Amino acid sequence: MFSVFLIPTSTGSRAAAAAVWAAWVAVLIGLAAYGLFGTRLFLLSTLATVFMYAVLTQAWNLLGGYGGYLNFGLVTFFGIGAYTTGILFQYYELSPFLTAPVAGLVAAIAGLLIGFPTLRLRGAYFALVTMIITFAVQILALNLTITQGALGIYLPRLPLSPLAVERLFYFVFLGLLVLVTAVVWAVQHSNIGGALVAIREDEDAAEIVGVRTVEVKWAVNAVSCFIVGVTGGLYAQRIAYIEPTGTFSFDISLNVVLMAVIGGAGTWQGPLIGAPVVLLVADLLRVTVTSEVNRVIFSLIVILIALFVPGGVMGAVSRWRRARAAKPDDVSGSPAP
Amino acid sequence: MITHVLSIVADGVLLGLIYAITGLGLSLVLGVMGIVNVAHSAFVMLGSFLAFELFRRFGVDPVLAFVLALPVFFVLGTVVYRVVITRVQSAAQTQGLVAMFGLMVLIENLGTIVWTTDTRVVTAAYTNTSLEVGGVVLPYVRLIAGGLALLLIGAFWAFLRFTLTGRAIRAMAQNPEAARIVGVDIQRLSAVMFGLGIACAGAAGVALAMVFPFSPNTQVVWLAWAFLVVILGGLGNVANTLFAGVAVGLIQAVCTAVMPFDYVYLVLYVLLAVILTVRREGLSSAVRRTI
Repeated sequence: MFSVFLIPTSTGSRAAAAAVWAAWVAVLIGLAAYGLFGTRLFLLSTLATVFMYAVLTQAWNLLGGYGGYLNFGLVTFFGIGAYTTGILFQYYELSPFLTAPVAGLVAAIAGLLIGFPTLRLRGAYFALVTMIITFAVQILALNLTITQGALGIYLPRLPLSPLAVERLFYFVFLGLLVLVTAVVWAVQHSNIGGALVAIREDEDAAEIVGVRTVEVKWAVNAVSCFIVGVTGGLYAQRIAYIEPTGTFSFDISLNVVLMAVIGGAGTWQGPLIGAPVVLLVADLLRVTVTSEVNRVIFSLIVILIALFVPGGVMGAVSRWRRARAAKPDDVSGSPAP
Repeated sequence: MITHVLSIVADGVLLGLIYAITGLGLSLVLGVMGIVNVAHSAFVMLGSFLAFELFRRFGVDPVLAFVLALPVFFVLGTVVYRVVITRVQSAAQTQGLVAMFGLMVLIENLGTIVWTTDTRVVTAAYTNTSLEVGGVVLPYVRLIAGGLALLLIGAFWAFLRFTLTGRAIRAMAQNPEAARIVGVDIQRLSAVMFGLGIACAGAAGVALAMVFPFSPNTQVVWLAWAFLVVILGGLGNVANTLFAGVAVGLIQAVCTAVMPFDYVYLVLYVLLAVILTVRREGLSSAVRRTI
């Protein structure tokens, strides 16, 4: 589905590439400036949520986009992360900001446990198991005493004004997003990225040319789950109350798949495009329709994109670039050789 | 004591028959066409609600609904095949998975809009009566649902074994290219196969509705059960699927007898992980399909 990105896209000039990079940096500076000086609570909080989802989607992108192993239950690891910081606060009074890495580790271990049996097999089994495991973990959270069942866990409210809290999480998630995007970019341009793409395109061939496919999948899945766990741990502090239904909400899994698919899985830019687009639409819809209708619309979009626009926005962009490169004398007016 | 054990066994076998048809559709579609239908359980849920609506509006007995579900879901399956599967078949597997995932979410939430998340039951005239044989209590619903499931499995087995279409399907499972060379219309037959798989899911939904309460948003549980049956029984083999279903039913019956109901799901998931770990060759036998 994402093989459209295999064709090299660096057909443009060096100046054009520099312009694109400058645009990304300008957006980042603009966002940082808004975080410092913006005062609209709603906008700050919405943007913080966008950053959080972008982080989750980047993490999904690592194994799902590059490797073609789709995690349909990302919220499992998100919820595990949230519950880890929640429980550590409940029993040891440790701040989630300190314990977020622990949340990541626990989620990574959970990822290894699920990945151990499924990632040795081919794609679809991992997708199926991740989809049905959310239900099991949710039951666990509802029934264990340590998670306090349906009662949930309260976390401390930060001793700051609401605006300052939102600003704090705005920068926490923005920072995390920059970090994770850098990791994804580095992976894309490394041997691991090459190995993942080889696995996605033809796993048998990848194995034959010497890619240690199973180990690569395990490692990348663990890293992906780690990122998701950290994000979940911070999310617990942000909303200050976690309970099984909301924390393991299927909407999160769905949103992440949607964002990756719309933006273009298998590129580092895809999640950065998909997350704001989806959340903007979701916010518009939330005012008018129920969450079920919302999900119906989103699932229809997922189906339509899978059927007609494989590669999402980035796929369309790279197709357009290729078409332009194929025709030297096109509208851009570049002189014919 | 002995009657207690016997009733657990009887219970497990009857449930197992229903689980077998829940898994059969998934197994056949995966084994023959190599499509992992993650939306399988959504069709199971639709089957349950078909029985529910027929019973509530027209007083139709679930047994009749079971028979009616087969053609209805066969048509639904072929439509899904034409609209969705044909478009993603030549593409990478991820594309098909994403599309089916979207379909699953779509059906589940359409179901939630129409029927809300309330838990429903189908109560036929014989729901609360049971047959007693030597101290073993066998509820009629389970007997009837199990019997219907067994009949359906038998019909599938005979169909694949003795009819020309069945043979063509088996040929297609073993080697699609060779089957095409000898004149099998792969496209048409794939549509038939997918339709049969969905018909099986719908019928399984009716059978499950007779025995268990159901709601649109818990359908993914049946995907877990169906998947477990598929993994135990291998791909595309009707007889093995039957035994795997009964085994899963027995495991569930024993677990329910000794622990709270919610934990049965956890045992199931652990089992899933263990089998996937131990039986990796048997599982990835998409290459060595036996049908």
